[in-house]
Amino acid sequence: MAVIWEAAKMLFALPSYQLPHLHEIALDFLREGAGGERWLWIMTQNAGYTALESLIGFTLGGVTGLVLAIGFAHSRWLERGLLPYVIASQTVPILAIAPMVVVWLGTSWFSKAVIAAYLTFFPVTVNMSQGLRAVDPDALALMRALAASSQQILFKLRFPAALPYLFTALRISATASVIGAIVGELPVGSRFGMGVVIINAAQYYNWRPANLWAAILVSAVIGILFYHAVAAVERRVVSWSRTAPAI
Amino acid sequence: MGSPIIELDGVAKTFESRAGATEALRSVSLAVDAGEFVSVIGPSGCGKSSLLRIVGDLVEPSAGAVRVKGKSARQARLDRDYGIVFQTPVLYDWRIVLENVQLPLELAGRPRVEWQQRPRALLRLVGLDEFAGHYPWQLSGGMQQRVSIARALALNPSILLMDEPFGALDEMTRERLNQELLQVCTETAATVLFVTHSIAEAVFLSTRIIVMSPRPGAVDRVVTVDLPRPRVDETRAQPRFFELVTTVRQSLREDPGLVGGHVRPGGSGS
Repeated sequence: MAVIWEAAKMLFALPSYQLPHLHEIALDFLREGAGGERWLWIMTQNAGYTALESLIGFTLGGVTGLVLAIGFAHSRWLERGLLPYVIASQTVPILAIAPMVVVWLGTSWFSKAVIAAYLTFFPVTVNMSQGLRAVDPDALALMRALAASSQQILFKLRFPAALPYLFTALRISATASVIGAIVGELPVGSRFGMGVVIINAAQYYNWRPANLWAAILVSAVIGILFYHAVAAVERRVVSWSRTAPAI
Repeated sequence: MGSPIIELDGVAKTFESRAGATEALRSVSLAVDAGEFVSVIGPSGCGKSSLLRIVGDLVEPSAGAVRVKGKSARQARLDRDYGIVFQTPVLYDWRIVLENVQLPLELAGRPRVEWQQRPRALLRLVGLDEFAGHYPWQLSGGMQQRVSIARALALNPSILLMDEPFGALDEMTRERLNQELLQVCTETAATVLFVTHSIAEAVFLSTRIIVMSPRPGAVDRVVTVDLPRPRVDETRAQPRFFELVTTVRQSLREDPGLVGGHVRPGGSGS
């Protein structure tokens, strides 16, 4: 990666405002900010803030998605009524929704978590309702032959059988929730988080391009860490499945 | 023998679909006594699986009556009188072998203290006690099917419904499992309704064989198997074994129209 990066910069003679040197980005973390703190520390604090918002949003969205999926799997009627809105919610650009949510819910962490949840719940709903339905007919016949209640069928068959579907969705949602939190931090009025750092860095981009690149790098790292955290849980929980991810 | 444990009277099944109605079963009457091992054999599409599922209250008959232990099939199912084994093992991947065998006890709301002893004893019975802690995918097809038999016996059901349980296994595994199944049935005293398309398997296992005619399925002939018990490997070498295999084979080949596809409840052919 680093070689391609530097080779491209050299080959196309890109100036630093188009593509800074990698060492310039690395050095930016050591630079002192306006308050006398090093950027590494500033970034870490803001990244932690964003990560926390993402995590709350991820949880909120995951639970919402799960409840919707169980509802949909339970009742075709409910699915027909709500699914069009669920799909419509995802066709609206999140950038247009975010400022409204911030206006409604204030500039605190909560509005950011809600925006993160907005991006998180959809993959969970779609995948999980499919997973809850995609049960082997004979496995259901077995439950029926053993006179299982519908609750037992849900918790002892449908839910565990759908876990691989759930985790596939959660891995997608993990990265989406970070995007959601950052987008939620962009509107005016926010004071903390990677979204704020990105907005500020973008304003001073011509003067100090490495700062924005560093912010992007940090944001990406949050998403990657989230993804791997979910994948690690997945490997533990669905260790019986042969479809669990290798990484 | 007392009153029959399973009684079918004029049972018919027609499946409705967009393509039209398919008559799967036409007026099947039959009676199975307690402790019997009755095989249902016939060409594919003769409705033998449907018949089994009607007895187990997994499919509703279009006409006719099913009585199980003097009750409706539905009541028998709710009373957990059935153990069921499918062609595929249908084990739950997320449960280890022991937990799969425990499933019926959990569903029946049996106290936790009972979840160990019988499942472990059943696993010993099918020779898999060493594999109690394994996940299903770690087992061969034959072993998985044994687990599914152990699971079917977990609640000590009076009736065992088996839908081509050994159909997907190789011949050698199948013969070994046939032998084991008979031992298991002797020890548990269950009545077995067994669907198969293997003639030799039906003759080896059964007290009676119901030969079905195809489309729509109906009882074509009932063959009583008078081979001595217990059935052992040598049984397969007896002249009588071959005679019975031939009888069943001929019944299957004959045009049901010529033989006159009659329903002979509890009757015997040869």
